[in-house]
Amino acid sequence: MADLLSWFSDPVRRRPLLRLLVGAQVLYVLGVAGAGYATTALGKQVVLATTPIDPKELLSGDFVRLHYAIGAMPLSQWHGPQAPRRRQAVFVLLAAGPDSLSTAVGLYPQAPAAGVGQAVLRGWVTDVYRNSLNLRFNLERYYVPEGSDLRLEKAGRLHPLRVRVSIAPWGQARITRVAVQK
Amino acid sequence: MRQRCFGGAQHDGLGSATTLNLVLLLSRKFLETESPSWVTDGLISEAQRQQLLARYPPEAQPLGLLPLLGSVLVGLSALSVVAANWQALPVALRLALLLGSLTGSYAAGSYFLRRGNDDLGHGLIGLGLILFGASIILTSQLYQLVGYDASGLLAWVVAGVAVSYVYGSRLLVLLTVLIGAAVQTYCVESLGIFSYVTAWLVVGGMGYYWWRRPDAVSATVLAVGLLWQAGLLIIVLHAKITWFFVPAMAIYAAGDWHPNRAVGRAIQVPSLVAAYLFMFGLATFGETDAYANILRPPLLPYLAALGAVFGLSALGKRAQGRLASLPEWLLLLPGFYLSGGLTLAVATLVVLYAHAGSVLARANREHDSDQLTLGAVLFVAATAVAYFKLTWGFMDKSLFFLIGGVLLLGLSWYLRRRNAQVLAAAAPPVAQQAGTPPAPGNDNEPEAPAHNS
Repeated sequence: MADLLSWFSDPVRRRPLLRLLVGAQVLYVLGVAGAGYATTALGKQVVLATTPIDPKELLSGDFVRLHYAIGAMPLSQWHGPQAPRRRQAVFVLLAAGPDSLSTAVGLYPQAPAAGVGQAVLRGWVTDVYRNSLNLRFNLERYYVPEGSDLRLEKAGRLHPLRVRVSIAPWGQARITRVAVQK
Repeated sequence: MRQRCFGGAQHDGLGSATTLNLVLLLSRKFLETESPSWVTDGLISEAQRQQLLARYPPEAQPLGLLPLLGSVLVGLSALSVVAANWQALPVALRLALLLGSLTGSYAAGSYFLRRGNDDLGHGLIGLGLILFGASIILTSQLYQLVGYDASGLLAWVVAGVAVSYVYGSRLLVLLTVLIGAAVQTYCVESLGIFSYVTAWLVVGGMGYYWWRRPDAVSATVLAVGLLWQAGLLIIVLHAKITWFFVPAMAIYAAGDWHPNRAVGRAIQVPSLVAAYLFMFGLATFGETDAYANILRPPLLPYLAALGAVFGLSALGKRAQGRLASLPEWLLLLPGFYLSGGLTLAVATLVVLYAHAGSVLARANREHDSDQLTLGAVLFVAATAVAYFKLTWGFMDKSLFFLIGGVLLLGLSWYLRRRNAQVLAAAAPPVAQQAGTPPAPGNDNEPEAPAHNS
């Protein structure tokens, strides 16, 4: 009786199977890289403002810590049947203002339909307080490229930053640019 | 249909090539030092001594340690150079480095396996698997890319299962279980979701592997990995923590159905330990009733689910002739539904004593010295809790420790005597009437001395 494991571990099949597996893994990693380019090319662009934070924390190692202005929201913007919980995945509806900065207009447990000039960014609830809640977007670290003017910005300045984020329709996002707000 | 372990060495549950090698190595050394005196005592002739020595040749070292150490150091230095300059490298070069080391370690692993160097070969294949995960993570980071579901890392688990199936080595199995647990932890911690696909890949993929290629160590690691994921599921669902025991005991029930007793036992141990610790904690801290709200799920659904798993387990035990281990389910009695206070304390203590007694009774019946020791330890632990609970509040502390110490000494003396009696009694009947079951009646009571002492 041929069981699945004997079929897989048959020495005759071992080399072709390994080649197949390694090939698939290489293609997959290349696919991840491709998704990066595709997110920039096809994604919706939003610009988010950060709030100044402890200067010692700003540039640590190779990355900048970003605290987004939309990371703290009043509970009145929550549109869900039940109160939000810690760790819950949520959707922030963003609308671009006159200065092209996007601000939050609502917080939803399910993805809302985005109108013209609006975009939806996913986040997670980190803390719930009496009147407000804090969010995390997994976009809090920006790995600073070599030669960027952020490197010249020595720790100790308290400038808010403008972060350009691309949100792909299939549910990935990436930071494409971080600049000092003048 | 049934796939048994090959060779007697694996039946002890530890069986592995390494243990076997160690035993061979020791016996060779033993032979070398002892055999000259056998010749002088006239036990064997010199020619026979030479024959014996030729029969157990010294193990040839498959690979010198020094070159291995050297290549590890070279590898580490290369790694530190790359890590220090990682951000400065062009994107294409970074990708090429990742993919190059990935394919390189798979190729090297395959090469060493063909040369017959299994340990190194499997190690390098495992390194390739780790590098695959690292490549996914570092490439995402390269493009500052965030994903919102587990799909990015799911490929890592799939690759782990596939590689384990192709190479069937214990190391790769352990690595895959670990990767599954790590990916699930990431999903829960970072994305706030439980990846059911990851869980089922590990349950189905590695569970099938466990069933077909019985190995005690992998079984225990698999069980621990699955319990970890079950715990994460409870966290994500915000469920009462006692629900944890439904999946945990489902793993236990799977062990009951496995035709190989040692391997079935190996997958059950983590669940049993968890259940015991929980019952122990309940006995020690439960009576305050402070935790009642996080412990009590709705009665009927919980009992129905646990009862279904119990039924499966009991059927498996009956099918494999292991009904003697059924009292282990005592630990799952949902005592936490009792209101706190003395009732709960007494009930949990009774359960702990009953469980320890059942282990001792079974050890007596099967003349198993390991089980006897375990039963004794459980018995002492239950007594310690009982003593602590019942007297701490009322007694002068010096008296408390004095009586406790005397009690412990007395217990250990008694249990050691019983242990010796049982094992001494076990020897003659096994030698005389091997195969006949011990007479029923006496052997159900742990207190009664063995029938022919």
